[in-house]
Amino acid sequence: MIAIKTALIAWIALAPLGAQSLKLPASLDRLAAKASEVVDVTMDANLLQLAGRFLSDKDADDAKVKKLVDGLKGIYVRSFEFEKAGEYLDSDVEPIRAQLQAPAWSRIVGVRSVKSGENSEVYIKTENKKIGGLAILVTEPKQLTIVSIEGTIDPDQLSELGGHFGIPKVESDSQHKNSKGGKDE
Amino acid sequence: MEDFERQLRNALAPKEPPPSFEANVFAAIAAQRYARRVFWRWAAAIAAMILLATGLGVRHQREVRERASGEAAKARLQLALKITVTQLSRIQQTVQTSTEE
Repeated sequence: MIAIKTALIAWIALAPLGAQSLKLPASLDRLAAKASEVVDVTMDANLLQLAGRFLSDKDADDAKVKKLVDGLKGIYVRSFEFEKAGEYLDSDVEPIRAQLQAPAWSRIVGVRSVKSGENSEVYIKTENKKIGGLAILVTEPKQLTIVSIEGTIDPDQLSELGGHFGIPKVESDSQHKNSKGGKDE
Repeated sequence: MEDFERQLRNALAPKEPPPSFEANVFAAIAAQRYARRVFWRWAAAIAAMILLATGLGVRHQREVRERASGEAAKARLQLALKITVTQLSRIQQTVQTSTEE
């Protein structure tokens, strides 16, 4: 998470202002019929506000989420899991990539595994020198995940959610190095 | 015939009401008014209670609906954040692994 955070901070310093929100194409809904598992979360500002009202300030976990949500305008998640490979095409994903272009968006991480066929990309957009949006695009032979978050996001707040609500604990660089050999810089 | 006329005249002749008649009439009117007032008071009280109960019922239903929507929104938010952080964590791990290699 540290490497991603560093990339985010470096990009913010250099990125131009102005951006537009990511629109998930309607063609994605067609994939739902082929998928064995579908996650579809659409939360606009009103729904986020409603959810925020049910997050307690007294509960430490809720308070973290509430703090994160305060700056958000929308969260959109589409995740499809298929029984076999080849159920979705590159053309299904292209309309999303086409929107994630400079100067509004910038790809900060791109990981491609030839072995597993997994392709992961993280994009951000900036508004007033802050992260104004985050998009994650993960394509695997049998799985497709698209996450779009609109609004001001603090990567630290996101990583703090690890270990709560069933979210896996995010291992920082130092923790990772410790677990590998006890060396920490 | 004369006897019949006399009887008829007597029957149709104006008679003075008994002295208690006026008092009885006023008493009957007052009793009627009182009964009507009591009825309307009860009717108003029952109507107010029905209105209050309906209002409270509607408010309770709205609160229940809002709470259900809020809890559902909270659950969806947690799911969305879980997927987001999980994916970022996976990407982070892949980056770390490839850096070490």
